[in-house]
Amino acid sequence: MSDAFYENWTTQLRKGLLELAILNVLADGPLYGYEIVRRLGDVESLVITEGTVYPILSRLRTEEHVDSYIEESSSGPPRKYYRLTPRGRSQLRRMNEHWQRLHQGIGRLRKDHGR
Amino acid sequence: MTMIELTPDAKLRFEQYLQRMRESLRGRPAVETAEVEQNVREHVEVALAAAPVPVGTDSLAAVLEQLGPPEQWLPEEERPAWRRTMDRLMTGPEDWRLPYLSIGLMALMLLTLPIGGFLLLLPAFLLSRAWVAVIEERGETLDARRWLVLPPIVIVFVSLLFVAVIGVVVLAGAAAVEHDLRSIGIPEPGTSAEAIFGFSGYILSAAGVWWLVLSLILVWLLEPIRNLFSPILTKVRRRHLLIFAGVAAVCLVLGLGLMGVAQSPTVHALGERLR
Repeated sequence: MSDAFYENWTTQLRKGLLELAILNVLADGPLYGYEIVRRLGDVESLVITEGTVYPILSRLRTEEHVDSYIEESSSGPPRKYYRLTPRGRSQLRRMNEHWQRLHQGIGRLRKDHGR
Repeated sequence: MTMIELTPDAKLRFEQYLQRMRESLRGRPAVETAEVEQNVREHVEVALAAAPVPVGTDSLAAVLEQLGPPEQWLPEEERPAWRRTMDRLMTGPEDWRLPYLSIGLMALMLLTLPIGGFLLLLPAFLLSRAWVAVIEERGETLDARRWLVLPPIVIVFVSLLFVAVIGVVVLAGAAAVEHDLRSIGIPEPGTSAEAIFGFSGYILSAAGVWWLVLSLILVWLLEPIRNLFSPILTKVRRRHLLIFAGVAAVCLVLGLGLMGVAQSPTVHALGERLR
């Protein structure tokens, strides 16, 4: 596998998984943008450019998977918090199930080939 | 507006970054640019909350680097087709592809001039201008590639400038030569002293009037014209156009003066003596 091929593959995979990761991060409760980015950053290689998260958050909100509200902060400017909507929670459940099936399927393939 | 205090350089850098972000997100109905901008401002504020104020370019640059180039935030397939095309053109070796296309069209234009090759000047101009816009968006400076992209911009600008400045004056002169306009006070060209003074005065007056009008139009449309012909007009300011208007006014006064002198007994007598 060439470096360029590998880079392209990981980039595509990352982009596809980022929405799932954002929704999962929000499953535990509301978070503001910087905190979401920080938590995603804990997952190695998931977020290469942090700014990528913000257009996705905006799109998830316009598609009503998340909603947002402003809350004052004791340590800085007011912050915009995001939280899952019922629609987003339902979508996340489906996505997690799908991801689980994929993960298990790939695992079986690897096992079948003895790798 | 951001609440953290930035140095003037850092503030400029941040505004340029936000401008790039707005440009790259434009035309995406599912993404609200204002919301993303608000999040980015908040992100920068939180990330730099512990930095000593005023926050300088270096500290800001580190945060912006982590955020990454806004042009790469959108998945390829969600970006407008024109931007995808432009980016593909721009991702050639060392970003030279677009300038090469532009200069290639210029060369083709020169080779095909006898069969209407001048029409290629327009796409060459657009390619050059697009490259300049991308470079400006990125906050980079024009490098050696300016020698490849500036010729079409300069040629289009000089051609339009020539037509705008001289064209109307030539038309005014031609009208006076081809039609008898003496009934409205415009002298005929000729070889007599009166005709030479009168016609020169008329041409100078026509130039003065048109240039005054032109300078007003240019003052009014300075910003779009400056953008259209960036970077060659970047340093043009309203004061330069006011100087042009001043020259036009002087031409008008001199022209009217010459037309007046042409009617005077002195010139009439001079004409008689020469005959």
